[in-house]
Amino acid sequence: MVRATLPLCALLLLALPALAQEKKPPFRWGTDPTGGAPFIYQNADGQYVGFEVELAEYLAAKLGRESVMVDGTWANLPQQLNKAADVEKGVDVILNGYELRKDLVEQFGVSRAYYAYRVALVSRKDGGVSGWNDLSGKSVGALGGTVAHDYVRSHHPDADIQLSEDVANVFKLVNDKRMAATVQDSPAAVHFLKEYPDLTLAGEPVKAGYYVIYFRKADAELGAALDAAIADGLRDGTFRRIYDKYGLWNADQEELIGLLDKPWPPQLEGNKTPWPRLLGELLRAAWMTVKLSCASFPLAMLLGLAVAVGRVYGPRWVGVPCGVYVEVIRGTPLLLQLYALFYMLPVFVQTVSPDLAAWFTPFACGVLGLAINYSAYEAENYRAGLQAIPKGQTEAALALGMSKWTVIRRVVLPQAVRIVIPPVTNDFIALFKDTSVCSAILITELTRKYNELYNFNRDLIVELVVITAGLYLLMSYPLALVARWLEKRLSKS
Amino acid sequence: MIRVTDLVKCHGPARILDGATLTAAPGQLTALVGPSGGGKSTLLRCVNGLEQFQSGTVEAFGHTLTGGQPPTQPALQKLRRAVGMVFQQFHLFPHLTALENVMSGPVHALGKPKAEAEQTAKRLLARVGLADKAGARPANLSGGQQQRVAIARALAVEPSAILFDEPTSALDPQMVGEVLAVMRDLAADGQTMIVVSHDVDFARSAAVVHKMVAGKVVQSGPPDAVL
Ligand SMILES: Nc1ncnc2c1ncn2[C@@H]1O[C@H](COP(=O)(O)OP(=O)(O)O)[C@@H](O)[C@H]1O
Ligand SMILES: [Mg+2]
Repeated sequence: MVRATLPLCALLLLALPALAQEKKPPFRWGTDPTGGAPFIYQNADGQYVGFEVELAEYLAAKLGRESVMVDGTWANLPQQLNKAADVEKGVDVILNGYELRKDLVEQFGVSRAYYAYRVALVSRKDGGVSGWNDLSGKSVGALGGTVAHDYVRSHHPDADIQLSEDVANVFKLVNDKRMAATVQDSPAAVHFLKEYPDLTLAGEPVKAGYYVIYFRKADAELGAALDAAIADGLRDGTFRRIYDKYGLWNADQEELIGLLDKPWPPQLEGNKTPWPRLLGELLRAAWMTVKLSCASFPLAMLLGLAVAVGRVYGPRWVGVPCGVYVEVIRGTPLLLQLYALFYMLPVFVQTVSPDLAAWFTPFACGVLGLAINYSAYEAENYRAGLQAIPKGQTEAALALGMSKWTVIRRVVLPQAVRIVIPPVTNDFIALFKDTSVCSAILITELTRKYNELYNFNRDLIVELVVITAGLYLLMSYPLALVARWLEKRLSKS
Repeated sequence: MIRVTDLVKCHGPARILDGATLTAAPGQLTALVGPSGGGKSTLLRCVNGLEQFQSGTVEAFGHTLTGGQPPTQPALQKLRRAVGMVFQQFHLFPHLTALENVMSGPVHALGKPKAEAEQTAKRLLARVGLADKAGARPANLSGGQQQRVAIARALAVEPSAILFDEPTSALDPQMVGEVLAVMRDLAADGQTMIVVSHDVDFARSAAVVHKMVAGKVVQSGPPDAVL
């Protein structure tokens, strides 16, 4: 038996290298497909297209490997390099408008530049912002954690920066006059200027840096192969052909060819944030979290109370809509409600009154969205509380000649409030943490700020997590104490 | 004068009041007796407008409820200010002190100023022997004390009549006396009252006794004749 299998094994061993040569592993490249045009986006047929898709296919062909797109969220793409390539969501490289940055170069292998980008300021033709020196106090949209974001923050600190993860949304907001301007990488600007004829470049785009491909430090061989492929592509006109399709080829890209003979990567300046500024920014973001919570929760309580009273005591034509309201609001995600309030509703309002649409600021929509969402939960708390008050209480008060509403206000509600304090404070603490969802509508609160800072300070991840969590605790724990004190005080009486 | 005429009240197929008729004269103590389940509580609740009924009428001090016609809120409020009610389970407001309980009617039903209501409430608490309990919460009062506060609360809106639904049935025996003493005192003062009671001694002090069986008033007359 043993003797019989041995030659077979030897044969297999001999065949292995040959097999491996025939079948190379796929070229897995990480990207955020929601990132948008012209980098990567879905065409009308639902296929992914974009200059980076074509680039990846060119590179894969050069490497003799099959191109496999792996999706992730943009800010976390570098993390995907910390896992193996052949696991789920594992990647060989990340290729998605990632800039040449010192913090990333220190951690990962880096290819030669495949594109030289600028940061462009885009505004409406009819006003808004006229140039880079006109940003003071204006709302300026940017992608959180990008060099473009960092550029506005450091060069125009008095601009009101509103961060988003969705480029298309930001351009639409500028187009709809709900945002004064946006700072974007030049490829995105080129693409969306074609889509929105009312938008224009405000001032000359500023030279900012290079897009590069990151890979594992250990994969030096892959890196060399990528560099060779990029050099070929730039020199033989393949890149030009791809970029021309998207209107992206320009003099800056010609210069890339000259750079190919120079050492790479060039000396880079760090963009690390110093600690005092880090803490200051976190504290300011925490203050936004406090403002959002403290403005929205009282509203939620009031609204919830009205809905609960309508449901328990109102006639059918009030009670039924109140019930539907609770189920619809409870049954849909907060994120969706915020989107509807901030992106959808103003479109309708604008057709009626543009002045009114201006009221739908991120903060106003955040407060309103949280208030509406939590009002449904508060309504249910109050309903339980109202129904827990014995019928005899109502009857005794009615028998004194009080009106129905006086009975509710003076007899039932004061007793119900005591019952609902624990669940209501519980909800307040939950709302505190749910404010982070507001980052979806351009509000920089604590979680969003953490994400942004972590983006530029990837070596401080532990410190940032601990401080951010600590800040949340610092805000919610006193609340828990107040709640306990209230409960104790009321149970005594 | 309270006049109940041919009152019919149904719960589904059950006729809980089946043509009940009675009158209660002003300034008099009227007792309502009869076996449990006879409809006494339901009758009082109809008179106070806490229940609606299918047919018959309730007339009380110029206010009228008619069977089958839902009364308006203002009409009910007016009626209830004329006819107060004291419950078997007291139903004091637990979040208010004894004084505040007594003040609640004048302040929230009649819209009297707080200072005036407080004077009235203090006087009434003294009358039911609880001047020293003004600041106590119901949870810290005995059953007898709670029922006396409830009586003071009913008196505070100065109703023309008060309906008592078994006011001593939920009390420990040693506390029955203090509540009945207060009620006797009221009766002696000429307060119009209809009292549902199983206490034969107390019923004997009534001017008129009505006996209810199966939703009908089967016998009315002086205590000696009915009891
Ligand atoms: N909400 C109700 N639904 C059905 N039956 C009721 C209801 N309330 C009272 N009843 C019935 O009506 C009858 C009279 O009750 P009640 O007026 O409390 O009598 P009493 O006070 O003389 O003991 C009882 O048989 C009781 O079961
Ligand atoms: Mg009864």
